[in-house]
Amino acid sequence: MNETPKWGMVIDLDRCNGCTVCVTACSLENNVPYVGEGDAGYGRSMQWIRVERYWEGEYPNVVARFRPIMCQQCGAAPCEPVCPVFATAHSEAEQVNLQVYNRCIGTRFCANNCPYIARTFNWFDYSPGMPLPLNSQFNPDVTVRFRGVMEKCTFCIQRIRRVEEEAKAEGREMLDGDVQPACAQSCPSDAIVFGLLSDPNSQVSHLTRNARAQALLLEELGTQPRVIYLASERGSKR
Amino acid sequence: MREGNNVHLALFKDVDPASEALDKLREFGIAEDDMTIISGVPFSEKVLGRPILTTNIPKFSIAGFMLGLLAALAINGIAVLQYPIRVGGMANFALPSFFIVAFEMSMLGCLIFTFLAVIWECAFPSYGPKMYRPEISDGRVAIVFNCPPEIHTQVHDALATLGAEWVHRTEATKI
Amino acid sequence: MTAKAIPLPQSQVEEEEDPRQHLLFDPRPREELNSMVLEAMHSTPISFWIAVIILTLLVIICLFGAWGYMAVVGMGTAGIRRPTFWGMFIANFVFWIGISHSGTFVSAILRVFKAEFRRPFTRAAELMTAFGLAAGAMYPLIHLGRVWVSYWIFPYPNNRWLWPNFHSPLVWDMVAITTYLLGSTMYLYLPLIPDLAMARDRSKGWRYSLYRIMSLGWRGTEEEWVRLRTAIRIFAFAIIPVMFSVHTIVSWDFAVTMAPGWHSTIFGPFFIAGAIYSGVAAVIMIMFLIRSTMLNMKYFMREEHFDALGKLVLVFSFTWTYFYFSEYMLGWYGGDAADKALWQAITHGPFAWLWYLMLICNILIPWLTLWNKKIRRTPWVMFIICLLINVGMYTERYLIVPSMIARNRFPFDWDSYLPRIELVISLGSLSLFMLLYLLASRLIPLIPVWEVQEGQFAHTLRKVGKTHVPSVSETE
Repeated sequence: MNETPKWGMVIDLDRCNGCTVCVTACSLENNVPYVGEGDAGYGRSMQWIRVERYWEGEYPNVVARFRPIMCQQCGAAPCEPVCPVFATAHSEAEQVNLQVYNRCIGTRFCANNCPYIARTFNWFDYSPGMPLPLNSQFNPDVTVRFRGVMEKCTFCIQRIRRVEEEAKAEGREMLDGDVQPACAQSCPSDAIVFGLLSDPNSQVSHLTRNARAQALLLEELGTQPRVIYLASERGSKR
Repeated sequence: MREGNNVHLALFKDVDPASEALDKLREFGIAEDDMTIISGVPFSEKVLGRPILTTNIPKFSIAGFMLGLLAALAINGIAVLQYPIRVGGMANFALPSFFIVAFEMSMLGCLIFTFLAVIWECAFPSYGPKMYRPEISDGRVAIVFNCPPEIHTQVHDALATLGAEWVHRTEATKI
Repeated sequence: MTAKAIPLPQSQVEEEEDPRQHLLFDPRPREELNSMVLEAMHSTPISFWIAVIILTLLVIICLFGAWGYMAVVGMGTAGIRRPTFWGMFIANFVFWIGISHSGTFVSAILRVFKAEFRRPFTRAAELMTAFGLAAGAMYPLIHLGRVWVSYWIFPYPNNRWLWPNFHSPLVWDMVAITTYLLGSTMYLYLPLIPDLAMARDRSKGWRYSLYRIMSLGWRGTEEEWVRLRTAIRIFAFAIIPVMFSVHTIVSWDFAVTMAPGWHSTIFGPFFIAGAIYSGVAAVIMIMFLIRSTMLNMKYFMREEHFDALGKLVLVFSFTWTYFYFSEYMLGWYGGDAADKALWQAITHGPFAWLWYLMLICNILIPWLTLWNKKIRRTPWVMFIICLLINVGMYTERYLIVPSMIARNRFPFDWDSYLPRIELVISLGSLSLFMLLYLLASRLIPLIPVWEVQEGQFAHTLRKVGKTHVPSVSETE
């Protein structure tokens, strides 16, 4: 590692089959509340990662294309400068975009300015209102959010931190593959690969040198996202 | 106006006889500093034939503007650089957003200081007894003047001839 | 110096051209003006009290009650959702800030341009500014998810060494609206002082104590007048750039984002034009209501004022249409896929009726009616036209705020917006505005009598050739 670690993710759209295990795993890892059928139907589900499905082709040759998308942890994040209280700031250490729950006053300006619509909002006291003993399912490493605060994918920063601390305690460097966010860990087809983009020997760096066409989402906006998508071999860039 | 012991108040229906009366008072030897006009509508000094009055309010406005600018520099310039937090790849001290905050705070300073300057220069609020008659806010023009006791009957007669509705030596009253 | 009413030869008098029909050529003794204004202020018929009670109940239940409920239960009681994270609350915010530009326009811009017809209604308009800001400035608090920690947006030293983010347009909003609110209140108060002194001289009891304190001991000496006029002149010039900057900053809440449809360089002037448009229309509405419900006001607020303001409304309708057409044209012609989808949704989607309502209210109706002098001089018709204009302008804000962010760059995430508790809270804030206005109309003189009399002094009829022409003198 030659510079500040830059964490990144490669998503292979050819391997993604839309099973949404990543969504479930992320929600369990990060205490993302389940909002119930009514609110989910009203567009208030709070999943930090979503699998977008686009239909292509005419009947009978209709094909579904899946694209998992989460917070892109932009280098020049448009959500950061618009927060009036610095509740979302850029982490110098991990080069990701931080969301500070206990500073957020809930203006939702960041959500409006995110071109990936990656942010979600706690519309009610979903988690604090949960009946006991369902609270046992919560991950103790992650805050349970109150109503009125924004949240979004954090690249499982609690796992990054844990591995960093363990590595430091054991006096060694972090190995590629030590840090696995919940989505990458659970994907059955290994469509999501996570690692250090700043390490030229990591698997993500290998994949970005892949000959296959790859794209950053909405690259023309200049947000410098940290998630690289490998195009599906079947020709669609989605 | 220097208020002495012999203060008189004359009420006129309109500003034309009142400005003539000022000339009459000058003929009697009453100095400019010894008379003042009170009215319910503003009249310029030219209309009344009085010396031009100056006020320092514009200087206060500019001072307020500068103070507002300094305050903006403090909260948007110095404070931001003391405790920097990186957002959106932007510089910590961004000039475009500084201009906005600086403009607003400078204007606020200017407006607040203009307001306070009026209050200060007029010595507001002052609730003590003053030379005043309620008819003034009903449209009358009043001349308040110091008059030496020996000529006051002549002065009163002269003013009454010119159209004064009411001329008397008055004490300051609660208004 | 009173204007001499010279009888005009009958053959040369036209009904509408008779200058004596104009307020400033129809002077009355100052005592009479004073007592007219004070009589209006003192009259509190039973209908007034009924209105006050109803409005107070609406404010308590619909504004504070519903807001408290939403703060305790969560923002989910409102209709906002992903991706329309801002909805009716922010549209209301922009609307009220727009209404508040009315007073500054009338009392500052018209004063600077020496438009004498502004004299009787400057205070009514300035009250609209103050109360419009009061109603509007609540919305940045109402729409917060955690309003109880909203004070973090203010720069104050704290033990966490945290400071608000001055890159954020919301912090600029905080600074700008504070400036505008304080500035407008001071600008309302300064010309009010001589009228409060007049009321003090003619009141007894608690009113006398109130006006005595509020008039600060004003007498009307030359020095006091010189200072007051200097300050008012400085305020008039200084508050115009503040007014322009405030609504520009509010528009930049949207324009600095990346959202398609919002990211437009024309938002600043566009919003200002819209604000003055809806503000002047609101002044006309208020003038009609004051004339109809308060005694003696028909002497002060006459058809000529509706006429003059009506012309201004028409001019601003042209201006607004010009800006809005640019917005639409540029999105329709050369916009990217997201822009085109957005305009398609607005003009042909399920809420296209709002689009047509806006066009009819803001363009069709004013352009068909306001060129006609008879219509402009009929107060109740002007009230209806201006009410429709304000409905149209509100619809325009509604189309900008939630409808535009409903169409973003990912079609999978498109959604729409339907208000829920926002309707109740909006009714509450409208009631607050009306309640504050009603109470103010009975507590302070609504007409700046000294300014009206000053204008009447300056207006005379001068004989030129075979006729008498109205002439305004510069007595300053």
